[in-house]
Amino acid sequence: MTAGGWVFFIIFWFGIIALNIFCFVKVFSRKELK
Amino acid sequence: MVMAVAGSAIGLGNFLRFPAKAAANGGGAFMIPYLIAFLLLGIPLMWIEWTLGRYGGGFGHGTAPGIFHSIWRKNRFIKYFGVIGLFGPLVIFIYYSYIESWTLAYSFFSLTGSYRGITGQEMMRAFLHGFQGVERNGYFSGIGTAYFFFICTFILNVAVLYYGIKGGIERLCKVALPLLLSLGLILLLRVVSLGAPNVLHPEWNIANGFGFLWNPDFTALKSAKVWLEAAGQVFFTLSVGIGVILTYASYLSKGDDVALSGLTAAGTNEFAEVILGGGIIIPAAFVFFGPQATGEIAVSGVFNLGFVTMPLIINSMPWSQITGFCWFLLLFLAGITSSVSLAQPVIAFMEDEFGLKRQKAVIIFAVTAFLLCQPVIFFLKNGVVDELDFWGGTVFLVVFATIETILFSWVLGMQNAWEEIHKGADLAVPSVYKFIIKYVTPLFLFAILGMWFFQQWLPVIMMKEVPPQDKPFVLATRCVLLGIFILLVSLVRTAWKRRESGREGK
Repeated sequence: MTAGGWVFFIIFWFGIIALNIFCFVKVFSRKELK
Repeated sequence: MVMAVAGSAIGLGNFLRFPAKAAANGGGAFMIPYLIAFLLLGIPLMWIEWTLGRYGGGFGHGTAPGIFHSIWRKNRFIKYFGVIGLFGPLVIFIYYSYIESWTLAYSFFSLTGSYRGITGQEMMRAFLHGFQGVERNGYFSGIGTAYFFFICTFILNVAVLYYGIKGGIERLCKVALPLLLSLGLILLLRVVSLGAPNVLHPEWNIANGFGFLWNPDFTALKSAKVWLEAAGQVFFTLSVGIGVILTYASYLSKGDDVALSGLTAAGTNEFAEVILGGGIIIPAAFVFFGPQATGEIAVSGVFNLGFVTMPLIINSMPWSQITGFCWFLLLFLAGITSSVSLAQPVIAFMEDEFGLKRQKAVIIFAVTAFLLCQPVIFFLKNGVVDELDFWGGTVFLVVFATIETILFSWVLGMQNAWEEIHKGADLAVPSVYKFIIKYVTPLFLFAILGMWFFQQWLPVIMMKEVPPQDKPFVLATRCVLLGIFILLVSLVRTAWKRRESGREGK
């Protein structure tokens, strides 16, 4: 894999994982509040 | 409800269509238009559909005709535009449920080792064609096996629908989605641990396999086709522009958070698509078949990728029967959580607008859909599926999304729409999305429609790319589609007349 490939791979993988963590933390904290 | 929408969005497209499109359209560079389309089309349309669905649900409407009418009461024709939100999911359901049944059949074939000894593309293709009844060969003597698995799949779908949203669909998604994601992670780990299995080609290793998908080819960005493919993939994968999310969101109350729910469903879908879908089939094909063959595989079509290439890859792996079972079970779970959602708008329409009981509406839907599935099964080789997918699963999606966006931002009005999104929301939608939803998303949609119109309208209408022997079948499919559309329009008309006469009677 080229350096450019690694850059895309890391940005997208970690970006999507971060988005999911953000959303699910919000969803579950909202449920706890209820 | 988030699980149900995520289950609807995560389908066969995530695991088969996305890796093929990405690898064939510039690899890592494809992800640039894909990300732009995700931010400017996918996310806004998710929020639009969640919000419009909940808004319409407040007026007792769970499907597009009623929801559109609730937004623009002065316009007596707008409800007929909402027919697309019934037509699209019904048409997709007709062919999707049959393709879904292949995944159930192949998971069974994997366990029993039916295709285990097959090592070449041609032989595996013959196995698939024999199964589909396209040709009679040594593997299958007719369409009987495929029909049996179709009946099983259809009954499973109807059973889930029969028990309703909470008792059927949500319960299915609560089990199927975690199982699907777990199977995906197991297969991803299996692929990542493959290393370089071909000792003659140590460069055919897993890092280069991922490189095949992710190394950017920036020249691809100059092609309009690549941008259209990326936008189309975002549409297809998020299940926006179909009408399904409208129906699901109509069951929400004003206190539910549509901003966060929409984003969470989109995020879960992207996890399944980019991380799992992008990490299994193409890297695995690369380490076993090398770069040249993988390039050919990527452009060979979704069916070829899923039902010819993947069984061959599986045959090359240790524990092939279990691995194959996991892969096709994953596809089946992805398929069934999507197909039950596709059935929901028509069923909800009968419940909401004609006051039918759930069970009665499901039976009417099941009988109609079963009859409509028959041409797909028996005339598969004559281009019926491609025709249904083109109209129901491609063109009308973009048209419907354009109508929704206009209604949301221009008819409901951006100020009202913004307040509606934020009712009960913990998540504040970035204010730049006011501008994006009002101007950028509709312009993007008009650009897609315009490019399609100029490039493809005439050749499609004139059936220029259809083989001569298939033209009568394609024409007949179009007539059936027109008939379905007219029938749905007349049902909407009847429902509104009944409602008006009921009001006058009171």
